[in-house]
Amino acid sequence: MSLLTVTDLQISIGGVSILRDIDMSVDRGKVLGVVGESGSGKSMTAYSIMRLLPVGSKASGRIELAGKSLFGLSESDMCEVRGRDIGMIFQEPMTALNPLKSIGDQVAETISVHTTISRSEVRRLTLETLTKVGLPPDEFPLSRFPHELSGGQRQRVVIAMAIALQPKLLIADEPTTALDVTTQAQLLILLRRLVDEDGMGLILISHDLAVVANTADNIAVMRDGVVLDTGSVKNIFSDRRHPYTTELLEASTHVPVVNESELESVNPEPVNPKPVNPEPVNNAPLLEVQNLVREYKLPRGGLFKPVRYLRAVDNVSFTINRGENVALVGESGCGKSTLSRAILGLESIQGGAVYLDGQPIVYGAERSLDQYRKMQVVFQDPYGSFNPRHTVARLVAEPLFALEKKLQKPARQQAVANVLERVGLQSSDGSKYIHEFSGGQRQRIAIARALISRPSLIILDEAVSALDVSIRARVLDLLAELSGSFDIAYLFISHDLSVVRAVADRVLVMKDGSIVEQGETDAVFNSPEHPYTKKLIASVPRLAYAV
Amino acid sequence: MLTLLCASVIIFLALEVVPGDPASVMLGVNAQPETVAALKQELGLNVSKPKRYFNWVSGMLAGDFGVSYTYRTPVRDMIADRMVISFPLALYALLLSTLIAFPAGIIAATRRGAVADVSVMGTTQLGIAIPNFWFAMILVSIFAIKLRWFSAGGFPGWEAGFLAGLKALTLPAIALALPQASILARVMRSSLLDTLGEDFIRTARAKGLTAGQALWHHALRNALIPVLTIIGLQFSFLLAGAIIVENVFFLPGLGRLIFQGITQRDLIVVESVVMLLVFAVVMVTFLVDIAYAAVDPRLRRRM
Amino acid sequence: MRSQRNLFIGAFLCVLFLVAAVVSFVWTPYDVTQLNIANKFQPPGMPHVFGTDHFGRDIFSMLMVGARTSIAVALVAVSIGILFGVPLGLFAAANRNTLIDEIIMRGNDLVFAFPALLIAIMITAVFGPGALNAIIAIGIFNIPVFARLSRAAALSLWERDFILSARVSGKSSMRISVEHILPNLLNLLLVQGTIQFSLGVLAEAGLSFVGLGAQPPIPSWGRMLAESQTFISFASHVVIFPGLAIVLTVLGLNLLGDGLRDYFDPKLRQSIPELKKHGGTH
Repeated sequence: MSLLTVTDLQISIGGVSILRDIDMSVDRGKVLGVVGESGSGKSMTAYSIMRLLPVGSKASGRIELAGKSLFGLSESDMCEVRGRDIGMIFQEPMTALNPLKSIGDQVAETISVHTTISRSEVRRLTLETLTKVGLPPDEFPLSRFPHELSGGQRQRVVIAMAIALQPKLLIADEPTTALDVTTQAQLLILLRRLVDEDGMGLILISHDLAVVANTADNIAVMRDGVVLDTGSVKNIFSDRRHPYTTELLEASTHVPVVNESELESVNPEPVNPKPVNPEPVNNAPLLEVQNLVREYKLPRGGLFKPVRYLRAVDNVSFTINRGENVALVGESGCGKSTLSRAILGLESIQGGAVYLDGQPIVYGAERSLDQYRKMQVVFQDPYGSFNPRHTVARLVAEPLFALEKKLQKPARQQAVANVLERVGLQSSDGSKYIHEFSGGQRQRIAIARALISRPSLIILDEAVSALDVSIRARVLDLLAELSGSFDIAYLFISHDLSVVRAVADRVLVMKDGSIVEQGETDAVFNSPEHPYTKKLIASVPRLAYAV
Repeated sequence: MLTLLCASVIIFLALEVVPGDPASVMLGVNAQPETVAALKQELGLNVSKPKRYFNWVSGMLAGDFGVSYTYRTPVRDMIADRMVISFPLALYALLLSTLIAFPAGIIAATRRGAVADVSVMGTTQLGIAIPNFWFAMILVSIFAIKLRWFSAGGFPGWEAGFLAGLKALTLPAIALALPQASILARVMRSSLLDTLGEDFIRTARAKGLTAGQALWHHALRNALIPVLTIIGLQFSFLLAGAIIVENVFFLPGLGRLIFQGITQRDLIVVESVVMLLVFAVVMVTFLVDIAYAAVDPRLRRRM
Repeated sequence: MRSQRNLFIGAFLCVLFLVAAVVSFVWTPYDVTQLNIANKFQPPGMPHVFGTDHFGRDIFSMLMVGARTSIAVALVAVSIGILFGVPLGLFAAANRNTLIDEIIMRGNDLVFAFPALLIAIMITAVFGPGALNAIIAIGIFNIPVFARLSRAAALSLWERDFILSARVSGKSSMRISVEHILPNLLNLLLVQGTIQFSLGVLAEAGLSFVGLGAQPPIPSWGRMLAESQTFISFASHVVIFPGLAIVLTVLGLNLLGDGLRDYFDPKLRQSIPELKKHGGTH
C-alpha cells in the first residue's frame, strides 16, 4: 500500500479552478518528483496535502496518508499531523525562518509542540537533528540566529525542523531553487540520504527537470493544474509518452542553432543611419579589463576599530573581442554583478582600468555619450527592468539618448519599430505599456532596448535566469540569431552553467572576486583545471545521467 | 546629542530675533532708561548673544535654566512644578492608548473581514478624525457636567493623594489617548496582517502549530517592530497634544506655562520649555532604538 | 468593493466642504460679521439651521467661512511640504550615501524632533499669532515628512533595473530623478498629500483653538470651539457643530487617502496574501 495517495483532487480559489483531477502516490523510502513550469499548480498540490490552502479555496477529492483520510480530519487533528507525520520544506530559506528566534528554539518547537518529553530530552533531540542535517553544534550552536547563517545553512535548519520527529512524509517545495548549484547538489544528496536512512516518502517539487531526474524514483509532470504524465524516471524519459514531457526535456537541453538562410532574408535597416565616426577596422580587443579592483567600505566594528574593506572584485583581467560571446560564471556573491556594474561604469573602481574600443571608461559625468551608446545591458528581472509608467516605445528608445546626434521623432519611431520587429514583436506594440506583456516578451523588449543604439557589446546579466525553460530556449535562439546578424559581442553573466555552455565561445569562472579559470567553452567543460571549476561542473544536475 | 545641540541653537536663534526687548516690555513704555539697564543687568541680558547662548546651554546642563523675566523665580522650579502634571499625563495617555490599541489591533487582524474587524476599522477611522480638544470638551460635558463623575478641570496636586491626582488626569488622558489609540490599532492590525503573510508563519503552521500558536509565538513579536516606531513618534504628539488639552481642563502643566511665557514675553521660559520637550522627544527616539535591539537580534550587534 | 466605497464617501465629503468654502465667498445664509446679541444662543432649527452663537451669529454661515480658512491653511501647508520636501528627498536619494545625503537627513531628523505645535509656538513667540504663522508652522512640519517619504521610495527605485538601464544610456541623475523617479512617486505623494492635508486641518484647528492660528475676525473652526468652551453647559450646539465639521472633513480626507491607496495598489490589501507569496500565478 502506498504511503500517500491523492485521488481525484480538485481545488478552486474564489471560483477559479486551480487543480483538476490530480492523482498521485508516494511509497515509503521513495521520492516522487513533481515537475512543472510556474503556474502549473505543483505548489498548490503540496499545500492541499498539508491543508494549508489560501483563504477562500475549496478542495474536493481524497488524500490518504497511511490509510488515514486527511480531508476528514478536524483542524486540531490536522495540526497534530503537520510536523509529526508530514514535514515540509520551502523555497525561500531567507524568509522561511522567524528572524527573531534562535535556530535551536525553532527546531525544538517542532518537537515540543507535538510531545511532552522533558526539556533536556528536547534539547538532545534538537542537537541530534541539527547534526544529522550537517549543522554540528560545535560549529553551529543552538543560540545562532537565522541572519547569522548562509542560505544553504538556513535551508538545513528548515530541513531539521521538518524531520525532527521523523515524519512519514516529507514535502520539499522547490527546496534548492534559491540556492547555488554547489549548495543545491549537497542538499539534494542530503535529502536522498534522509529518505534512504529513515524510510520516509519524499515529494520533491521543482521547475527544473534535471534536479528532479537525478533524485527522484518517480515523476509527475504538471501543467495548468493537471497531471499530464506520470511514471518512473526511466520510463518517462525513454518512452516520451506525453508531448509536453518531450518539450520540457528538449527545452532544458536546448542548444540554440542559427538558421543561416533566415539571416540573409532579414536585412535590418541601420538604426543609426550615419555613424558619426566610421569606426576603423582594428583587431584590438573590444573590451579590455585590466587588474580591476572594486572595494566596499564595511560598517565599522566599533568606534575605534579601523575601517575595513570588502574586495568584491579583486584584480580581474580579461578581454572580449569583437563579435565574441563570453560567459562569466560564478555563484551568488562571487562578485560577478559588481564586476558588470564596474564595466558599465555605474560604480567607481578602486584600481585597474576598463577600456572599450581602446578608450578608458570613467565613472561619472565626463564620460562621452558614444561610450554609453556602445555598451548596453539586459537585466535578469523581466518585471523590474522597465519603468511601468512609460510606453514600450519610450522605454525602447531610451538608449537613443546616447546618440551624439539626436534623432527627430519620425526617425526615432522608425528605429523603435525596426528593433521591435527584429526581436519578434509587432511595431504596434510600442504604444502599449509593459504590464501588458509576459515575462518572455518583456525580455525581448529588453533586448530591443539594448539593440537600438547599435552597441558593440551587450552585457546580459542573468538575462534568462528568471524565465521558464521553454521560453528561455526561444530567447536564447533570438540572442544567437542577433549576434550573427549584427556585429555584437555578448558578455553573458550567469550562475547557470548549462545555459552558458550552449551559447558562449569562451568562459570565465569567477570565485570570491577573482577569475579562477578561463578558456574556450569546450575546453573548460571537458577538462576543467581549477578545483572550483571541477566542483561547479560536477554539481550541475544533468539529465544525461538519468536518461 | 548633535540633534540636541542643533536644536538648542535653532531655538535660541529663533527666539532671540524677537523684536522687543523683554526688559522694556516688563517695565512698560514709560520706564526710565536707567531702570531698564539695571533690569537687563539683573537678567543677564546685557552681554553679547553668543555669550548668552553659552550661558543658557551651560546653565541647562548644570540644571539651571535661568530666572524667569516676569516672575523673577528660577525657571527650573517653575518647570518642575508643571512637569509633574504634563509628563504623567502623556505617559498615562500612552499607557491607555497602548492598552486599547493592542487588543483591538490583534482582534481585527485575526478576524479579518469579520464584524469585529469592520467595527474596529470603522471606530478607529472616526477616532483619527476627532480632534483631541473637541473630544475633551465632549467628555467634560458628559462626564463632568451631566454625570458629575469627574471635576470639569483643575488639578488638586499630587499632595491630595495619588488617586485624586490620577482621577483629575483621567479625562484628559482619555481625550489624548483616543486618537493615538486609533492610529496605533490600525498600525498594529496592518503590521500583524503583513507578518501573518510571511513565509515563517507558514513554516510554523507546517510544524503543526495552530493558527493561534503561530500568532502568539511567532507573529506578535515580529509585528511589534513597526508598532514601536509609531509609539515613539506618538510620545511627541502626546506631549504636544497635552499642551492643547491642558487648556480645556485648566491643568497647570507645561502647556499653560508656555502660553503664559508667550503672552508675557518671558522668552527664557519659552526657550526652556521648548528645549525640554525637544529633549524628551529625542530621548524617546533613543529609547525606541534600544527597544528595537531588545526585540530584534539582527540589530543587537550594531549597538 | 470596500475601497471603492471609501473613495466615494471620502470624495463626497471633500467636495462638500470644498463647495461650502467656495460658495462662502459669494454667498452665506447670514452675514457672519453682523453681531446680533439679542439673537444669541438660538437652538438649531429654523431660520438658523445650526443655531446661533454667543454673538447671535449664524453658525452654519460661520462654518462655511471657516471651511475656507481650514482648507486654505492645510492646502498651502501641504504644498510647502511637497515643494520643499520632495526635491530634497529626491536630491538626497540621487546622492545617497554621501555627505550631502547625510546632512539632509540629519536636518530632517532635527526638524522632526519639533512637533508642529512647538514650531507654531516659536513662530508665534517671535511674530505674534496669525493664520500665516499657522501655515508656516504646519508647512515646516510637512517638509521632513515628504522628504523622508520621497527619499525612501526613491532609494528603492534607484536599485531597480530600469534606473540602471537609464544610467547605461548616459542620463544624468538629475534627469533620471525627474524622468523616472518622480512619475513613480506621484501615487504615493497623492496619498500622503491627502493624509497630510487631513493632519493639516486638525493642526490648524488645534492652533486656532489655543489662539495661535487665525485671528478675529477671520472665522475658524478651532477658534469657534475655543470661544464656545464657556457655554458648553447650556448651549451644546455651539460646541457640537464646529467639531463635527472638523471630524467630517478629516474623515473625508482620510477615507479619500485610503481609497486612493487601494485604487493605486490593490495588492496592498489583497485578500489572499498566501497567493501573492507563492507567486507562480503570473
